[in-house]
Amino acid sequence: MTRWLVLLAILLVGMVMASLALGDIALSWRDLWETLVGSQDVSPQNAVIVFDLRLPRVLLAVLVGAALATAGTITLAVMRNPLAEPGVLGINSGAAAAVVAVIVLMRDPPVLLLPAAGFLGASAMAAAVFLLSWRAGTSSLRIILIGIGLGSLASAATTFLSAFGEIGNVQRAMIWLAGSVYDADISKVRFLFLWLIIPLALAWMASRELDLIRFGDDAARSFGQPVDRIRGLMIVLCTLICGAAVAAAGLIGFVGLVAPHVASRLVGPSHARILPVAVLCGAILVVAADLVGRLIIAPIQLPAGIVTGLIGAPFFASLLWKRRHVRG
Amino acid sequence: MSGDESHMSAKLAGQDVSIAYGDRRIVENLDLLVPERRFTALVGPNGSGKSTILRTFAGLMAPSCGSIFLDGRSIATLGTREMARRVGVLLQGPVAPEGLTVRDLVQQGRYPHRSLFGRWSEADQAACDEALMLTGMTTLADTPLDTLSGGQRQRAWIAMTLAQQGEVLLLDEPTTYLDLAHQVELMDLITVLVRDHRKTVVAVLHDLNQAARYAEHIVLLKGGTISAAGRPSDVISQEAIADVFGVRSIVIRDPVAGTPLCIPL
Repeated sequence: MTRWLVLLAILLVGMVMASLALGDIALSWRDLWETLVGSQDVSPQNAVIVFDLRLPRVLLAVLVGAALATAGTITLAVMRNPLAEPGVLGINSGAAAAVVAVIVLMRDPPVLLLPAAGFLGASAMAAAVFLLSWRAGTSSLRIILIGIGLGSLASAATTFLSAFGEIGNVQRAMIWLAGSVYDADISKVRFLFLWLIIPLALAWMASRELDLIRFGDDAARSFGQPVDRIRGLMIVLCTLICGAAVAAAGLIGFVGLVAPHVASRLVGPSHARILPVAVLCGAILVVAADLVGRLIIAPIQLPAGIVTGLIGAPFFASLLWKRRHVRG
Repeated sequence: MSGDESHMSAKLAGQDVSIAYGDRRIVENLDLLVPERRFTALVGPNGSGKSTILRTFAGLMAPSCGSIFLDGRSIATLGTREMARRVGVLLQGPVAPEGLTVRDLVQQGRYPHRSLFGRWSEADQAACDEALMLTGMTTLADTPLDTLSGGQRQRAWIAMTLAQQGEVLLLDEPTTYLDLAHQVELMDLITVLVRDHRKTVVAVLHDLNQAARYAEHIVLLKGGTISAAGRPSDVISQEAIADVFGVRSIVIRDPVAGTPLCIPL
């Protein structure tokens, strides 16, 4: 466990450094180092590139990756379905519908309105899914089915809006939907950090509850767990975490699904170990995706969400392939 | 009830219990006594409500009317955690997360004894060690569950419920899918738990003769009501088998244990 944490942390730091150094104007390692430590003979241009342009962006990628991975780990445990990711709670489709509605229907929406709308859309959908699936208690399967149903309803609304919206607006909406950290600034990073710190800590403290709820409602209840209350709390945590990440960066797929699977393969089934490793995996994935997206067909920037899909899918397939002999 | 039960105190008791899934009544007006520190077997044909009754006595389902008492106190007034400290449950076909070792599994049994941020205590460790020892799983403690045989896996699950340290164990068809050797082993384990560790065990059993041989108290169920209850030798008769299972049989004395042995005709 410690070994993996150290290895992944080193990898993450390496990726962050690479993200700070590489880009349209590449800095040498030496320039980067001198800029970071603030030595005298640094050109002001380099300082602007590193501190104002690249650092907020890479920090946002780290936070978003950590958030998506945590939310994914929670969803996986609570839904007890290997394909469950925060999207089944309607978080993504709710946020997408709300943001597209704001972009397409409002003339010149204020910048701050987009993340707010994204978060509200995500929360409203998660609440609707949870309440509609409540029938003297909840059940994971009911939540998944209702989540998929309401999710496609929201996607239909999104499609409708983009089919009839004004073309320029629709394109802006599509870029948002693709998921990207390009419009990061340090205040956004600070806000997301302060927003996430408590829910992430709570998720980690609840790892024992996650360990138990995986056994199924009856088994968990017979061990004294108030299953419905825990599931409700976990869904609230998940919405706070994932909703904020989606509001900040749009839809970055696959991270919430891949990171917890990788983590549990590396460090086994205990959530106290899975969570920190998944957080690092998620952060690495999003930072890497953003870096690749910036470099691969420069000067055009590919949104990170597209890249996570591109590198996430084969990675996931290889995971499944490796465990094809493991039963169910 | 026969006079035999009168001197045994009831650990668990259902009073006028009815259980329904939606509109479908499974059990009606059931009065069921589980004698303390005895092995009670619930036996009956498919659909007779055995598992439903077990789940209700475990507090996993609420009866639509009536109450269940644990040591004279209604379980509806016990919290989930308190209930879990006193009653261990093993349901049919439990599924563990991939990669879990026997020790990981058994440690889950300590959940009801630990506070939210409570550390793993010596008492927790002792309970797990004892559970592993009793079930003969000590040497397999660090083996992943998915590499064990069916019998070993079942013993690991029982160890998990033992780590809970409840006075009562409720087991739903614990011997199903086990081969003969493992079935005998499990029945012997239950006997030891009742005799030496003062447990009250209730098991749903499919095999009437197994129940007759090992259980001290048999409850014959038919269509959600009790057809007969008492000591195996008092309960099992040609008439009772015909009534409950609709099978003609003769009942002889088991040449080894002296308990009734039912042979279908």
